[in-house]
Amino acid sequence: MLEEKFINELGQGNREAYSQLIDDYEQKVFATCISFLPNKEDAEDIAQEVFLEVFKSIKKFKGNSKLSTWIYRITTNKCLEFIRKKNSKRRFAYMQSIFGNEISFDKTNYFTEFNHPGVLLENKEKSAIIFKAIHQLPETQKIVFTLHKVDGKSYKEISEIIEKSISSVESLMFRAKINLQKQLEYFYKNKN
Amino acid sequence: MDTNNNIAEEVKSALDSITHIQEIKTPPFFKDKTMRKLFDAKVAEEKIVFSWFTPKLQLATLVCIIVLNAFALIQLKTTIYDSNVSNFGENYSLSNNNETSILN
Repeated sequence: MLEEKFINELGQGNREAYSQLIDDYEQKVFATCISFLPNKEDAEDIAQEVFLEVFKSIKKFKGNSKLSTWIYRITTNKCLEFIRKKNSKRRFAYMQSIFGNEISFDKTNYFTEFNHPGVLLENKEKSAIIFKAIHQLPETQKIVFTLHKVDGKSYKEISEIIEKSISSVESLMFRAKINLQKQLEYFYKNKN
Repeated sequence: MDTNNNIAEEVKSALDSITHIQEIKTPPFFKDKTMRKLFDAKVAEEKIVFSWFTPKLQLATLVCIIVLNAFALIQLKTTIYDSNVSNFGENYSLSNNNETSILN
């Protein structure tokens, strides 16, 4: 009932309601963004975009799920959309470089420039490799693995966000781990 | 054998590294910046009074106006031509309007 009233106030564009919303969710939304994205600036921009999207779309929110679940869903979609755009821009730049400036193929991946503020210096190289590997997984596996392992969300929360059963989430997590292991083994074999 | 063990260890250590990511606090002034963005966007939206008049509608309206004007112009030309012909006929007594009159 309280949430319903709060959602109504958000729908009316009440300034105080938005102030409350940002107080409640800024840390959680930012944490999810920084779990998907490798640098603080991009995570901040996307977190702001999430609140902007909530502001624009709150009237379309039917209340089929909790407000928090809906916000996390927007956050996940925004992050993935941002990564897709970044990677396609880089691929385009690479195609252009064939005719002009030289950019190595590796630079066409957004995760090449890894600058995650939460990663300890000694883990930086390993984390960059694993971030890159995560983003080569199929989309649902990528979401489940990131939300669980990096963002620390429970299987129940993830199942609500991606609208799948807990057993599906467990199975996606299992497959994500196997695929990551294969990718990393392949990477280290070729490296040595 | 050793190489395989090393690879397995490296894979395990890479997978473990992801769980050691520290929590990052939201950047300072995040709330202020976001609030400004939200409510500046609202003001901008309110300023657009004719927001319903989308480019598609504008184009359709323009096409309608052009078609109506063209039709009116054609109609006008036909009327002028007809009245000119009938004036000419009357002036030179070529018109047979009088013959059909029931008053004669």
